[in-house]
Amino acid sequence: MTGRPYRPEPFAAAVTGIGMVTAAGVGAEATWRTVCEASTAPSVPHRPELHDLPCDFMYTIAGLDPRALLGVATARLMDRFSQLAVIAAREAVADAGLDPSVWDGGRVAVVIGSAHGGLPFYDEQHTTLTERGARRVSPKLAPLTVVNGAASSVATDLGALGPSQAVSTACSSGTVAIGTAHQMLRTGACDIVIAGGAESVCSRLLIASACQLKAVSTRRDDPEAACRPFDIHRDGFVVGEGAGLLVLERPEHALARGATVRAHIAGYGASSDAHSAVAPDPEGLGIERALRFALADARVAARDIGHVNAHGTSTVSNDLIEGTMLHRVLGEHPLVTSTKAMTGHTLGAAGGIEAALTVLALEHRLVPPTVNLDSPDPAIPVEVVRKEARPGTFDAAVKTSLGFGGHNAALVLTRA
Amino acid sequence: MSTAEKISTLLVANFGTDPLEIRPEVSLRHLCLDSLALEELRLIIEDRMGVDLDDVELTSRDTVGRLVDMVHRKAAA
Repeated sequence: MTGRPYRPEPFAAAVTGIGMVTAAGVGAEATWRTVCEASTAPSVPHRPELHDLPCDFMYTIAGLDPRALLGVATARLMDRFSQLAVIAAREAVADAGLDPSVWDGGRVAVVIGSAHGGLPFYDEQHTTLTERGARRVSPKLAPLTVVNGAASSVATDLGALGPSQAVSTACSSGTVAIGTAHQMLRTGACDIVIAGGAESVCSRLLIASACQLKAVSTRRDDPEAACRPFDIHRDGFVVGEGAGLLVLERPEHALARGATVRAHIAGYGASSDAHSAVAPDPEGLGIERALRFALADARVAARDIGHVNAHGTSTVSNDLIEGTMLHRVLGEHPLVTSTKAMTGHTLGAAGGIEAALTVLALEHRLVPPTVNLDSPDPAIPVEVVRKEARPGTFDAAVKTSLGFGGHNAALVLTRA
Repeated sequence: MSTAEKISTLLVANFGTDPLEIRPEVSLRHLCLDSLALEELRLIIEDRMGVDLDDVELTSRDTVGRLVDMVHRKAAA
């Protein structure tokens, strides 16, 4: 291992609210209930626009109508990934007991990760450009598809007047966003941060590329069984859409207003593989560094980590490398899960959604099962929870994320 | 359906405009149609009503009545 972590004074950000919108449910509790109780993945529909691709399915949020939820006038100024972020942010802020009409907006920041921003709209408008000409291209393309669209939409919707920014580190974006928020609170730059990730990438262009890359599952005959993290028969990830956001606060701010603290973000670590545009470091040394940094930052020993919500994408290489690394750093005892079989791989949103699920796991002391894990890969040495949710007595948990380009991140979360 | 009715329907459906606010003397700015929304509206009217508004100058200071009149004249041309 290389690199010596910066060790500032310990700092635990209070998690006072969570919001989620996923294929498993609209709302944090709905998502949690489905993730813990369902024995099979939600419906993973075939998409007509992907009909001729090796992977023609993805996790989508059934029945969600952002125009109805947000109003036409508000929704029309947002790409879908931003709409999902605003829906999750409103839930998280309400859950935290915050009233944006009276808060000191200048002390409220927004940090939201996304890997691809409004890519589907780019895809659609490129078709418009080539088939109908430049005068038919929407003026909304440039302002709405930027990766920071979710952060600016949430800031605008809630009146958050502090710093707002996007984080884009591919599939670790949501986790890095929460880590960035943790650091912002630590420095005193703000009192409250709404942080996490949002993604919606139903794009023929993107899925065609992912198919060429052989990164996605091609189990077209059984899409609900296609995402199977840590299973011997896994063959790639399955894309999903969603958003997961946390309200994080400086602990004294949460205490002063009498907020209910749901958990703490106790430590954050990040690293780069400096290895490949796609493949993780084959020994998992990059994600190991991130995890060790996070543990050191939190002053939590490996033996005290009772649960890991893993990146667990269902690709052959990620699950083997990550599982082996978790065993090397944490040992055999943590109850590991991947919730992606219930939500899909939501790319830049994954870290936000999975951090929110980790907060709920700590609260309930319950680890959701890894759905579709029928035949555990014997080469992966960690204890992966499967079949049904499993209770535990843990007080600390880890969330790990790896992104294309070698962006690794880890959070240590502790019970309130 | 008259040109005014068609435009009113498009404003309600695409911009969430309150139908009671859509009156000839009301400015487009009052309906929260900023420069981005006006360009979007131009595209929508062209697509749905089959007119070419490329040489029509439209600002937020214009009224609903002027917009209807311009579109009506283009449609009749």
